[in-house]
Amino acid sequence: MDLFLHYLGMPYLLDGVGYTLLITVLGLLGGLVMGVVLAAMQLSRFRSMAIVARAYAIVFRGTPLILQMVFCYNALPLIGIKLSAISAASLALALNEAPFIAEILRANVLGVERGQVSAGQALGMTPAAIMRRIIAPQAIRSMVPALGNEAVSALKNSSLASVVAVQELTLRSTQLASATFDFFSIFFASGLMYLVLTGAIAVIQIVVEMLLDLDRPPPREQLRRFLRALVPGRPEAVPALAGAGEGDVTPPDVADESVAERVADPLPPVVPKPASVGRDPAARAARLAGNNIAVEVKGLRKSYGAQTVLDGIDLTVRAGEVVALLGPSGSGKSTLLRCINRLEGWEDGTIRVGGQSLGTDENGRPLSPRLTAQMRASVGVGMVFQQFNLFGHLTARENIAGPLRWVQGLSRFDADRRCRDLLERIGLAHRADALPRHLSGGQQQRVAIARAVAPAPTVLLLDEPTSALDPELVGEVLEVIRRLAVEEGLAMIISTHQLRFAGDVADRIVFLSGGVIVEEGPAAQILSAPSHPLTVRFLSSMTAE
Amino acid sequence: MAHALDIHSGRNRLSVVSHLRSAFFGAFGLAVATGGLTAGLPQPAQAATPEACAALQAKYPDLKGKTLVNAINPHTPGYETIDPKDPTNYIGFDIDLGEAIGGCLGFTLTYKAVTFASLLTTLQAGQADIVISDIYATKDRAKAADFITYLKVYDGVLVAKGNPKKITGIDASLCGAVAAENTGYVEVPLIQALEPECKAAGKPAPEILLFDNNANCIQAILAGRADTYINDVNTVDGAVKAYPDKLEKATAVTLPYSVGIAVPRNNIPFRDAVMSALGELQKTGVQAELMKKWNLPADQLETPKLVLAD
Repeated sequence: MDLFLHYLGMPYLLDGVGYTLLITVLGLLGGLVMGVVLAAMQLSRFRSMAIVARAYAIVFRGTPLILQMVFCYNALPLIGIKLSAISAASLALALNEAPFIAEILRANVLGVERGQVSAGQALGMTPAAIMRRIIAPQAIRSMVPALGNEAVSALKNSSLASVVAVQELTLRSTQLASATFDFFSIFFASGLMYLVLTGAIAVIQIVVEMLLDLDRPPPREQLRRFLRALVPGRPEAVPALAGAGEGDVTPPDVADESVAERVADPLPPVVPKPASVGRDPAARAARLAGNNIAVEVKGLRKSYGAQTVLDGIDLTVRAGEVVALLGPSGSGKSTLLRCINRLEGWEDGTIRVGGQSLGTDENGRPLSPRLTAQMRASVGVGMVFQQFNLFGHLTARENIAGPLRWVQGLSRFDADRRCRDLLERIGLAHRADALPRHLSGGQQQRVAIARAVAPAPTVLLLDEPTSALDPELVGEVLEVIRRLAVEEGLAMIISTHQLRFAGDVADRIVFLSGGVIVEEGPAAQILSAPSHPLTVRFLSSMTAE
Repeated sequence: MAHALDIHSGRNRLSVVSHLRSAFFGAFGLAVATGGLTAGLPQPAQAATPEACAALQAKYPDLKGKTLVNAINPHTPGYETIDPKDPTNYIGFDIDLGEAIGGCLGFTLTYKAVTFASLLTTLQAGQADIVISDIYATKDRAKAADFITYLKVYDGVLVAKGNPKKITGIDASLCGAVAAENTGYVEVPLIQALEPECKAAGKPAPEILLFDNNANCIQAILAGRADTYINDVNTVDGAVKAYPDKLEKATAVTLPYSVGIAVPRNNIPFRDAVMSALGELQKTGVQAELMKKWNLPADQLETPKLVLAD
């Protein structure tokens, strides 16, 4: 025991800890830098880069670290690169860590919902902005545990640097054991030192996770959670001390959810606008006919492999016109909407939005994703998705105000003002600071609509905005669409199964089946007197439900 | 003339450490290093240069004032280990001898601790300039480095107390026994060569457990994993001294090798310089005195000769 304590406090071994830490930190930093590059290469749209990165991973993940250490130390001098022992060991550790860290980065980047990426694209965010504002914040949160693991494993792997004469803890322990024959005291002491180091990494990981926790509780609760996290195996029970006399403590998450369900947050009362009173379809149609063309689709064909999804679509939508797309599942409604926004490419045909062809320059050459995004924002095409696709790490307020700052370049003040105005109009001002996961589906979709409308687009595309909602939540969303979009006079293309809503708000109904437009005409006419047998069958099956 | 070289100047600061230390602070500026690293740069061996050494320094002026790297496997008590009292120093006969050679030729030494198996690869990679680490000069190893011999080889046979397997040397008594050895040791092929003899006698061949330092080999016997560890007799004696109740030396054997200083193959002036300096140290009795200091038997001393690849 005396010997053990003697070795535990021995400066020689403690200095060894310094070298162990140095190599670990250098190796992890180098691995992180190279890992970012490798992950970017693998995720790149250029295939050759992905192949190079993959080949690197195969070599450096597939060979033992000890060989890489010896290689960096003893083989590199043969080609004229003579590194110091510490540099060689750090380099080898970095080379070895890089592919592992790259995989962690890649998996967590891919783990962010694709829908959020689509939403970012639809808002006109460039790929870099999407990476920085949407993907990175969420990916970094979810990769902390894996990176913590990697740090611990790098620390332990650093002991292999002893083979290339780095004076780290393991090497010094064995040398000391050789000189003194106090084998066990020395190795227990150095084992404890390693445990303290890995324990420190675990603590850092817990702290980082807590700091990044989106539902960060107040500091006192935070300290309690921290202490609880240090003691493994204990369930997250209500603490006995705090429990006395306040047995009805509800965790914040659940509280939020139940509030969301319990409290009906009605939309603010309608302030009738003169335009929306006494709507006369015929007069409106005549007025619309004189408007500019907002969206023009000509001969659009698209297929996924052998399956043709869109087979020659022609569609013209004028400014201020509301078009409802009806049709059975798989008829191509969503694909058509995504093509209009250039979220998808197509084989044949043209689409012009606001007179411009999204994603190609005036000579028809394809633009980079970045330029396409900028064009999308300048033309002004908003999109609302079936699955809401709110940015999961941002509050309702930031979901709306963020893109206004990042894409439209509004000041924080202006963006917040616009956001507040919209949140009031959708009746969610009191939920401005709630995260999407604490909102009901209907509330989320209302925020999503506000987000799409916020930059004042000229065209709004809605892809089955109520299909993912419980029936009792459909009404509030349709009402928001009516107020924010229809009454604002946006050109709108909405794919929906809500026939009554379509009849109510749409100027025109377009019926799609098998990738072609089977029938189209004024809403009232199609709904009351469809002419094509497919339309008849579809409408009768819908009303039968 | 023994006073001519200060043989006690062998408090060799682990200058590797100070190198690393500057790298450390340079790269990081972190004051992780607490104690032990505060020592200064390597002190030159303060040799009062005798005439012969002065002549050698005049003949090989390139070496004067240089700091060379000596690759060692510091797991051999008596030859080279760290100093338990001050672990930033290396101590042992080889260390003192190297310092004395350096003192004579006017260079100082710093140390690079590596596994036994990578002593010569470290030299070949240019990460070290010289290897003085109780390494036996064999024809095989001479393919990697030129050797200048300085000691005869006596091996001891380390066994558990009472020699339960009745091992008598590198002979048929090893059949069916487990021998602990270090990777790259010359004893390994000698033990492996017993296989036909054992087979002929209808016994199993010896099994060899390979480790990478003495301490692990000794622990293998203490833990009952190995029956014997055959290595330099002084190392074996040291182990018996450390564990008198558990270990003993069964016997000593002579091997047809010598211990040698390894130098790079293509640097003949350096080799000649080291060999001449070693000759001087033997002539003046310095080596004998060092052997006495480290309890090596006097008859182990060997006149320098070269072991080169064929």
